[in-house]
Amino acid sequence: MRDQALFASGLLVEKIGGPSVKPPQPSGLWEAVGYTSSNTAKFQADTGAEKVHRRSLYIFWKRTSPPPQMTITDAPSRESCTVRRERTNTPLQALLLMNEPQYVEASRALAQRALKQGGESVEGRLVYLFRLVTSRRPESNELAALSAGLRDLLEHYRKEVGAAKDLVAQGETKADPAIDPSELAAWSMIANAVLNLDEVVTKG
Amino acid sequence: MDPVSERIEQLTRRHFFSRTGIGLGAAALSSLIAAETRADSTAQGGLPTLPHFAPKAKRAIYLHMNGGPSQMDLFDYKPTMAEWFDKDLPDSIRKGQRLTTMTSGQSRFPVAPSKYKFQQHGQAGTWVSELLPHTAKMVDDLALIQTVWTEAINHDPAVTYICTGNQLPGRPSLGSWLSYGLGTMNRDLPAFVVMTASWSSKKDAQALYNRLWSAGPLPSKHQGVALRATGDPVLYLSNPAGVDHATRRRMLDTLNTLNQREFETISDPETQARIAQYEMAFRMQTSVPDLIDIKGEPKRVLDLYGPDVETPGTFARCCLLARRLAERDVRFIQIFHRGWDQHGNLTGDLPMQCKDVDQAGYALITDLKQRGLLEDTLVIWGGEFGRTIYCQGKLTKDNYGRDHHPRCFPTWMAGGGIKPGVVHGETDEFSYNVVKDPVHIHDMNATILHCLGIDHRRLSFKYQGLDVRLTGVEDHGPVKGILA
Repeated sequence: MRDQALFASGLLVEKIGGPSVKPPQPSGLWEAVGYTSSNTAKFQADTGAEKVHRRSLYIFWKRTSPPPQMTITDAPSRESCTVRRERTNTPLQALLLMNEPQYVEASRALAQRALKQGGESVEGRLVYLFRLVTSRRPESNELAALSAGLRDLLEHYRKEVGAAKDLVAQGETKADPAIDPSELAAWSMIANAVLNLDEVVTKG
Repeated sequence: MDPVSERIEQLTRRHFFSRTGIGLGAAALSSLIAAETRADSTAQGGLPTLPHFAPKAKRAIYLHMNGGPSQMDLFDYKPTMAEWFDKDLPDSIRKGQRLTTMTSGQSRFPVAPSKYKFQQHGQAGTWVSELLPHTAKMVDDLALIQTVWTEAINHDPAVTYICTGNQLPGRPSLGSWLSYGLGTMNRDLPAFVVMTASWSSKKDAQALYNRLWSAGPLPSKHQGVALRATGDPVLYLSNPAGVDHATRRRMLDTLNTLNQREFETISDPETQARIAQYEMAFRMQTSVPDLIDIKGEPKRVLDLYGPDVETPGTFARCCLLARRLAERDVRFIQIFHRGWDQHGNLTGDLPMQCKDVDQAGYALITDLKQRGLLEDTLVIWGGEFGRTIYCQGKLTKDNYGRDHHPRCFPTWMAGGGIKPGVVHGETDEFSYNVVKDPVHIHDMNATILHCLGIDHRRLSFKYQGLDVRLTGVEDHGPVKGILA
């Protein structure tokens, strides 16, 4: 799912091979459980998009405290064979997909991609964004829901320019300064919604 | 669970229709949906057959002392050991039983009598060491088991055993079983909450593992949710900068509209479950900050827990939060307190560990009692094994170390379903072997399930071709001597 969000937004680094990487994770996770004197007692995140946006299989794995972006979505513990993943559906997954910094960054990058590559019309851009993530065109009632949401969010962020700037400033990569922050912020929240669709996070 | 319905549960409806084509009539479909959603609404997500009988406790709080507290320095009074100072542990006691590799190479196994004074307390006359003065005040509320035992001799298998009923990793933890079997009583908080407290002994503490509160093969909504002392109390709880509550609401409204449309097209109840989980996440963004905000607690309550309660992450703060979670009907709350692994410098480190938990544990019981919550809340205190009477490393009158000892260790329980003011089981004069009423880990877990209205033999889950149970396959059962 992480790879999918990074890929759809154009952030994924697809380089093959090389050492493991440590994308950011909330502080204190290793300290809470790990041996106090081990060489992985303290977590230090990597910096640089070429590292933190690599595919998830390159993420460094500490077995007593595996990366939360992976375990919340039920990555196997790697302590025994896993023939089949269980179906899961938890509020923690919702929080991860809405709020984890890399998903937030992917939402902004996806929004930016839609604004720059999706043509001139709002509708065309929404269709493009939706297709990038779901591989299909939205139905008319879906498009209507997205348009209505976007309209409200635009109205909000045009009034709250500071909040818009805060939202689009997050992540390892920078937002395109040529794009109005209020517009980008509103589109980022729409991208965030699309990346959270049940259809998008469910296989099959 | 019925294997047929379990199979259906694992097979997604989407897969089913993608293979068969949407050829079924709407009537058949609606009956399928009705069957699947019915269990959820009546039992709050638990199994329809549970509880098996009227529960005495609705919820439980487990205070886990990680590392192996030294029983003969805390609860298991062995006065004759004073005469055995620096004498070798008799072979008739050890009986060739295995030792860890940390002491198996020692040329001698000299007895280290406890340095601490013991006194009898309460109506029950329970012996308690001077290291636990607050616990001593509440012995008439406790059932103290002197004789819990385990087969595991090292931390990783032992703590995995005590948390999941199996030494091998991968089984559901106790809290996950309770969430799976009994469901949730609070729609705004998880059913199983875990806290990892800070600790005071200076020695490197043993590691914990996220799998100790994992759901194993059970659906992951039953896994323990860690409540953190730093940063977001629940991972990724906060909206990103620039997104306020109303903006998140607007985004969710858009998301729900689209998901609802998907449900109307495909009719997979999992889509509705998804909508519900996003709504719960949104509610948690309010309910969790409210839970951890202790500003409204009166001074007399804070004083009860002691000065540590002011510091987030301490055992005292965790105990106060445990009471707040119990008040909110969270099914199972587990606090892990590390640092109880006194291989050396026991008399330096053990008092600090006791100071961390003694007053706070007393405060928790007292606080629950004052609110009328103790009668239907089960509280459990204990480690994953005990420690040896013989000394590891250098022995003096004032200081010593103790190795792991699986053959007997103390655990106390209190509250719903438990007979107060009893001491159960006896060990020999070396606190080495059980001489009366052994309580295996499985017996202890069966007791916990019993208090919550569950017959441990009838709570199972199909996994790897087995009907897996928390209490294994051998003949075990609740400890009648401590049941009310």
